Amino acid sequence: MNFELTEEQQLIGQSAREFGKEYLEPIAVDLDHTGNFPKAVVDGLAKHDFLGLLLPADFGGAEAGFVSYVEVIESLSRYSAAVASIVNNHTIAAYTIQHWGTAAQKKQYLHDMAKGELLGGFAIYEHGPTPGVGPDALVAVKHAEGYVLNGKKAYVRNAGEAGVYVVFATTDPALGAKALTAFLVKADTIGIKVGEKLETMGLKGCPVADITFENVVLPESALLGAVNGGVAISAKALAVASVAEAAQTVGIGQAAVEHAAAYAKQRVQFGKPVATLQAIQTLLAEVATDCHLARLGLQNAALLIEEGKPFEVEAAMIKSFLVRLGSKMLLDTCQVEGGFGYSEFMPLPRLFRDIAGTNLLDAPGDFPEKLIAASIA
Amino acid sequence: MPKCLVCYKWTLDEQDIKIKPEDLSLDSSRAKGKISDFDRNAIEEAALLVEKNGGAVDALSYGTPTVKQSLKDCLSRGPEKAFWIGDASAETADASVTANVLAAAIRKLGQYDLILCGEGSSDLFNQQTAPRLAALLGLPCVSFVNRLSVEGDVVKATRKLEDCVEAVTVKTPVVISVLSEINKPRIPSLKQVLGASKKPNEELKVADLGLKPEDLQPKAVRKSVKGFVMQRKNVIYKESSAADNVAKLKSSLASEGLC
Repeated sequence: MNFELTEEQQLIGQSAREFGKEYLEPIAVDLDHTGNFPKAVVDGLAKHDFLGLLLPADFGGAEAGFVSYVEVIESLSRYSAAVASIVNNHTIAAYTIQHWGTAAQKKQYLHDMAKGELLGGFAIYEHGPTPGVGPDALVAVKHAEGYVLNGKKAYVRNAGEAGVYVVFATTDPALGAKALTAFLVKADTIGIKVGEKLETMGLKGCPVADITFENVVLPESALLGAVNGGVAISAKALAVASVAEAAQTVGIGQAAVEHAAAYAKQRVQFGKPVATLQAIQTLLAEVATDCHLARLGLQNAALLIEEGKPFEVEAAMIKSFLVRLGSKMLLDTCQVEGGFGYSEFMPLPRLFRDIAGTNLLDAPGDFPEKLIAASIA
Repeated sequence: MPKCLVCYKWTLDEQDIKIKPEDLSLDSSRAKGKISDFDRNAIEEAALLVEKNGGAVDALSYGTPTVKQSLKDCLSRGPEKAFWIGDASAETADASVTANVLAAAIRKLGQYDLILCGEGSSDLFNQQTAPRLAALLGLPCVSFVNRLSVEGDVVKATRKLEDCVEAVTVKTPVVISVLSEINKPRIPSLKQVLGASKKPNEELKVADLGLKPEDLQPKAVRKSVKGFVMQRKNVIYKESSAADNVAKLKSSLASEGLC
């Protein structure tokens, strides 16, 4: 058993931290204020191969493995979780095409996605309780040469910036989610309308919007995987995404605790730095411990994914752990920094907003605890 | 097309070194290694020169056996081959020993047009490696370089000195030390990181370099290292008037030679 990252994994993490320090740290505050899509940064990420990290070399990817991927997502999230979120949504779309796409679909999309010339989006959610159910559910009707899609997808990240979306639609409204089917839809397909960008609490800069489909005609070749096979695809893809999102949470928590520790060392109260006070040490120690344990958990889940082993339960555990502790990490670091930390000129409010966003993101299964409880013998 | 060799040092990351409050000794037990900061600039400059002019870049490092951990990091930044000397003698080596070992290794490796070093190392910053290497190899040395170009066998360099900027022209072969402002070291892409493990590296043994025992004897011996902590005196003047307080402060500073 070995808890050490390999030299390559460490160096990849180092590259991501250097990238974050050089390109994300200077724009993170502005991104949080404006919410503008950071196109130049995304181009830089592509140049450094971060957008094709998981993809096979045959498609121009770095083929660096999922452990490296979570190391990168955590490292980028220390500087901007919003940018990490853009990368993650793109990567999950590419991952889905890689695993369920036909040879022709892979050839058509993956080269450009690895180069960052084509950004991916993943359109699963709807305003109804589950996809395929509800008044504006996206419905795919079969016709002679393919499918016609009508309805709406909600809360699509990378919306408006992606060039291709992995879209889930039901082929039978009566069956709802059971007839969920995945399609590959180019952003410039006639009938697609990206709605107004949603103003979100955090992760600003990663665009979120609804997408309306009005008589969108797709050829048979746009079908991704089997007809009515969408539930299995989305479940697996969302479970994979949730591990990367756990890495976002750890990165945000690590950034917060490092900032709070540095602050505590220079903030003098009662004649000495507050870092020497036991109450402050306890808060810092608890957050650092939470980050460390969460990192081990997510690396474990990442390794299972990389080795092609069942990982959903471990993914659910780490998701559940961080949903409980993610916000507490930020509350505790905010306590350390007191009134200063609460101020908008300090980074904690932004990190607080971002961690709230990552907590809400994708989860394996309906809810993680269900998977975990079912796994206990 | 210049044939370049970059000498770099694998140092501890100073951010990871803690000062023990009880005796001010340094705790480096959890410190990670890194390529010395200015040496990254030297590696980058060599990579840029070769990208512009053609040629080749090799790298050479002398350190404790942990220097082997630096190879992939170094090779991901441009060099095509790395030579490394991992030897316990590096634990106590001073600038003279380091230069002796590096010079002996370079004699063994053959002639290079440009031998580049960082201006000083992140840990000791002695700024002696480049001039000592040049002296030992009988080559010209150009230090404090913040701009560099090569045309054929002519090297043009700008030296940034304390009170002036000096333009220098010199024929190869030459030893050059660079300042951090000469360039911004690249962030290796993932393919460069993964490709580094496919590049060759070769270990050189100190015993095979033809060095005499005295060449490995440091001339400067480090007795101890202690962290520096600012001690506050916490003196408060409580005279009745501000003028008296200022006068006391002034005389106190004067007694310590501070004004």
